[in-house]
Amino acid sequence: MTVKSIFRHETLLALLLVAVLIVLSFQSDRFFTVSNLLNQGRLMTEIGLIAIAMTFVIATGGIDLSVGSILGLTAILTGVFWQNVGMPLAVAACAAIAVGSFAGFCNGLIITRFNVPPLIATLATLALYRGLAEGISQARSVRGYPEWFYVLGQGEVLGVPTQLWILLLAAVLASIILAYTRWGRTVYAIGSNEVASRFSGLSVEHTKLALYTASGFAAALAGVIFVSRVSTTRSDMGTGIELDAITAVVLGGTSIFGGRGTILGTVIGLCLIQALKNGLSLAGVKGDGTIMLIGAVLILAILASNLFERSGTR
Amino acid sequence: MAMTGIDLPPVRPRTGLQRPGALRRLVSDYGQELVVLTAIVALFIVVTMVNPRFISTNNLTSIFAGNAYIAVAAIGMSMVIITGHIDVSVGALIGVLATISGTLAVAGYPVWVAWFAPVLVGMAINSVIGVLVAYARIPSIVVTLGALSILRGGLISVTGGTWISGLPPEFLIAQKRLLGLPVPIIAMVVLTILAALWMRYSAFGRSLYAIGGNPEAALATGIPTERRTVAVFAIHGAFAGLATILFATQLQVIQSTVPPNLELTVITASVIGGVSILGGTGTVIGSTLATILFATIGSALIFVNVSAYWLRAVIGLLILATVLADMLRRRGRA
Amino acid sequence: MRNIVLSTLLALSVSTSISYAQSTWTGGDDLPTNPLACDATPATAAAKPYDGGQPTNAPDRKGKTLTVVDVPKLVGIGYFNATSKGIADAAKEMGNMNAKTDGPSKANIDDQITLIDNYITSGVDGILFAANDPVAIAPVLKKALAAGINVVGYDANSTPDARQWFVNQAEFNGIAKAMIDSAAAEIGEDGAFAIVTSTFTTPNQARWISEMEAYQAKCHPKMKWLETVEAQEDNILSFNQSNTLINKYGDELKGILGMTSVATPAAADAVTQAGKCGKIAVVGLATPNAMKPYVSADCVKSVVLWNPVDLGYAAAYVLRAVADGTLAPGGTTVKAGKLGDLSVINGSEILLGAPTVFTKENINNFDF
Repeated sequence: MTVKSIFRHETLLALLLVAVLIVLSFQSDRFFTVSNLLNQGRLMTEIGLIAIAMTFVIATGGIDLSVGSILGLTAILTGVFWQNVGMPLAVAACAAIAVGSFAGFCNGLIITRFNVPPLIATLATLALYRGLAEGISQARSVRGYPEWFYVLGQGEVLGVPTQLWILLLAAVLASIILAYTRWGRTVYAIGSNEVASRFSGLSVEHTKLALYTASGFAAALAGVIFVSRVSTTRSDMGTGIELDAITAVVLGGTSIFGGRGTILGTVIGLCLIQALKNGLSLAGVKGDGTIMLIGAVLILAILASNLFERSGTR
Repeated sequence: MAMTGIDLPPVRPRTGLQRPGALRRLVSDYGQELVVLTAIVALFIVVTMVNPRFISTNNLTSIFAGNAYIAVAAIGMSMVIITGHIDVSVGALIGVLATISGTLAVAGYPVWVAWFAPVLVGMAINSVIGVLVAYARIPSIVVTLGALSILRGGLISVTGGTWISGLPPEFLIAQKRLLGLPVPIIAMVVLTILAALWMRYSAFGRSLYAIGGNPEAALATGIPTERRTVAVFAIHGAFAGLATILFATQLQVIQSTVPPNLELTVITASVIGGVSILGGTGTVIGSTLATILFATIGSALIFVNVSAYWLRAVIGLLILATVLADMLRRRGRA
Repeated sequence: MRNIVLSTLLALSVSTSISYAQSTWTGGDDLPTNPLACDATPATAAAKPYDGGQPTNAPDRKGKTLTVVDVPKLVGIGYFNATSKGIADAAKEMGNMNAKTDGPSKANIDDQITLIDNYITSGVDGILFAANDPVAIAPVLKKALAAGINVVGYDANSTPDARQWFVNQAEFNGIAKAMIDSAAAEIGEDGAFAIVTSTFTTPNQARWISEMEAYQAKCHPKMKWLETVEAQEDNILSFNQSNTLINKYGDELKGILGMTSVATPAAADAVTQAGKCGKIAVVGLATPNAMKPYVSADCVKSVVLWNPVDLGYAAAYVLRAVADGTLAPGGTTVKAGKLGDLSVINGSEILLGAPTVFTKENINNFDF
């Protein structure tokens, strides 16, 4: 696989994004404004964080369907640790994130130690973690957080939404790790051929365990940001977010069979979906029309990129 | 398209050169099915000890008939997964088909038109998906994620969510009985047996295992992989249509929206029933048994007074236990 | 055999879950309750000062054509189709309002917030909403107020300072009284009943259940509350859950109370198909169209609901009045077209009226 073939899909997608941005800004003069675009960044942070971690997971040929449930569990725990257990809020949020990461670690453990395929393992924990969130919360919401906590989800730093900085930082770090480190190459190697990676001495199990833990951590972090953005906790938070994140990742060119994919592609995919959602709404298209269009774009983008690569390996 | 490189599952021997005893062969061929079946039986025994009403005829009817549509949809899903693909749009498809069927029934078309329409439309829609997967070589999860959005969005924009009521009584086939048994139960059992026989003994059925196990090898042995893939998606669409008939005729109104999380329920039933997500192994008997297991769990937890707040956690735990049990069993055998 | 070991393991996990059992749960919330008097004495509400919010620098919209968006909890259920129809009717009648409905396809707080955010950016004059969560929706509604947009809620409230007015279809304790009184009349003072609700996290349903619990303890103390089950907004699941309740309790179960317009018809269908019409009463909140078959078959005697078309209609008129300045903080009534004068309660809420009880006699007069 050459560098050229890796970037082909991303280039195509970036061109599509530019085209969409131009068309949408002609549809509504309120679309291409700094404040609107920054606000969209705020709205896509939670999916973005999850999608970035998901890129690694999918690049190894795995998948993590339990992220939405981990998000919900973390949200509930943040509230319960703070209000019912009486921890200071900062400690409570960190503890909740730790539990969320541990939930991801458990996914990894089930997948590596028991050899359960990732889709099945995380399908089971999707039900389990959501169930725990419901059981722990007893359907109660925790509200009334101190003002400083809202800085994370509703505030700004240097004129940019706080959480967008986190997303940017995560994206840059993840790109560097995936593209330039030995660890990143291990991820691709596992995705391309797991058995061969194992025989060539790569620590397949440890890498996978770390990835699913990271995926849990990203979902947990997104959970705390979500709580701060909407100022309450509910056990049904994040339901269905896994499909949104996966859509962004595969739209970004990551192969669902593993071995291929970039963070840049995922970020462009995310921006494209968010731009469509927002821009079409501003142009007067209803929500259901937008959903349909995003579905069509997903299929067509992958189709187009396949056609360009027909001569290639796949 | 090749699934190589992911965890290689222990392949279940279908035809052994040595001929072990009938019981041993049953255990080795239908291991996961037996685990699920034992779990069902164990559940029935435990819950019946707590509340004998659990095995009353009425409750058995509710458990089996009320969830038969999931089992029927899971048959088609199992075939798709055995071939090495997946479909996350089946819930949305069933929502769309139910609306079509109900609209035709209310509009005064003969009931058989209203029954056959979802089967045909389901085949048509899924054939398109199959073509995109087989010939355009787009991974099935991508195509069906897209289809999920298109079908869900399309359904709402067309119907606006209006419920369909005033269905003619003769349309409501799921409420009827045949030979004293509710039609959904008969449909579930008959379709499962037919599909199981067909998957096991027909050349077509066996070729699906070959494609799922190793597509390159299947192609090399002369199996028309692409045409089979389209066909299996079309058949899956037909089963979704049949499931729709049971789904749409259960009540006197049809809620023309996408049933929440139905695709996850159907996929879970297939994989817990022993269909390997990597393709190549599994049976439709397992998926039907797994559907019954879930339905039994859902009902049992209410019967034994599990706090409704913890219901989903317990269900999740049971699913995980079933999965781990299967893995331990395979490891024990290997 | 290994299978036996494994299934013992499964059975064990089931039995551990049984030990969770005996705690009581009802599906209510933990807010204070305020049950009404057992007879028809109306509640004496203490006058409260206006506690709603105000838009900043709202332009003068008096008499001008308003662009309004209606964001219900979700689109695609009969109930919100009806409110949306009411809003459209009112807009047509007034002639100077362009209203459109756009909501999430699932009752999802995040999708709803994103939609409202987009409409703020697109520059609407007014927002009508039915909140999926009263607190979660507050930040985005405050943002709308800060952008000078008129904000009016209906059906499901937000925190008061995040909107200007809320059109209340019926007070929680009023609904609770209607539900429990109807149930008591049909199943007797010592009858046992179970509840089918959407999810325990749905604020309106949780509130009603709490009020019902309080009112039942106060006025019908001998009635037996068996349990509450969740059935999402899914009619097949509601049907299956109702069946399970019928099978579990046998003859002990005298009534099923449906808390949503999805659950009630499904419960009625379960009772019909079980051949228990007349033996198990179904009382619940539901739209008349979905209930007509069961009411005309005499399986269901009474259906409780306000008129959702009127609710949407009133909400649109309130928004118009707010934009025109004819309804300002401190006001006591508002004119709502054919509905006449509606009164202000609880500081910043407008009461639609008492809930309607639909019976065989009047149900065919309604079409929603």
